[in-house]
Amino acid sequence: MVRWVAGALFVLAVGVAAAPAPAAPPAPAEAVREKLIPLERYSTPKGQALARAHQLRLYKFSEYLWGCLPWLDVQKHSIGFQRPKGDPGDDRYFSTWILIPQAENPQFAAWPQTRRMSAMFSRYGVDLLRRMGGVHDVLSDSNVHGFSLVLSWLKPGTWRPGVQPVNESLAVFVDKATGIDYLERRIPNGDFARRIRVVGFDGQTELGPQALDIWDDDFAATFKIPNYEPPDGVTC
Amino acid sequence: MNCARIVRSALVLAVLVVTGGCASSEQWSDWRSHSTHFASDRHMGFSMRNNMDGTNPKVTRVDMDSAPRESWWGKVITVQPDQIFQN
Repeated sequence: MVRWVAGALFVLAVGVAAAPAPAAPPAPAEAVREKLIPLERYSTPKGQALARAHQLRLYKFSEYLWGCLPWLDVQKHSIGFQRPKGDPGDDRYFSTWILIPQAENPQFAAWPQTRRMSAMFSRYGVDLLRRMGGVHDVLSDSNVHGFSLVLSWLKPGTWRPGVQPVNESLAVFVDKATGIDYLERRIPNGDFARRIRVVGFDGQTELGPQALDIWDDDFAATFKIPNYEPPDGVTC
Repeated sequence: MNCARIVRSALVLAVLVVTGGCASSEQWSDWRSHSTHFASDRHMGFSMRNNMDGTNPKVTRVDMDSAPRESWWGKVITVQPDQIFQN
């Protein structure tokens, strides 16, 4: 009897001391799913078919963004297959909209708006395009015409008491061949900038087409939060 | 004699393991001055995973979601999706 008690205590003590740290919890399904464009929002058979065919892959991509880029937010109902406003056909673009938590910064604020847009696309847009380019089964679908990225961030000077906060935004459309050529470094930044379609917004005011100056910026590709553990089941 | 030694060793080991994570008198004093120790179950989970001196601060995405991000983005004027896309 004494031996049993001693044995049990010993096992308990060793077990408590040697227990591995629990894995980070998995991504909550609702937080991941709400980033996807709901099926009922698609108004054409082509859009619906694409969304239905790649539903699981889009979910995994949303989960990946949620778990691997925790310093960004993804706009609700933004991951899916969009078509540009005013386009006559039904070309569908693999789409994602990110919200960038840009803090007030004097240097950033001093830049002209077009420069801020170029900086944001160079830093976050190119990285997002690269991550979207990794979703091979979506991109290999011949009904996917290209990539659509929207980036939003807080306009400098609008986040203080008594001022209405406003986001600056950039909507970018890239045809698939151009996107893949760029990601595979077959075309330089300048050529890529000339071949993409970019529209700027100041709050809800459309600023019209924008000519971006794109440069290499590896911040988003290399930035890591110290000791960050991705959710269980997500590989970054 | 041998059994008694085993029991004693196991008890000492168990006590060492269990008391290794106990609070100091100052920490107990802090605890008594608050009605609850943890602000939320997430806070509790975060604390349980980390050393008190912050040498092993594991951070998960759920921890980051508890930050006041929602209010940061609240009521910001942003372009509407239908200004960019058509369904």
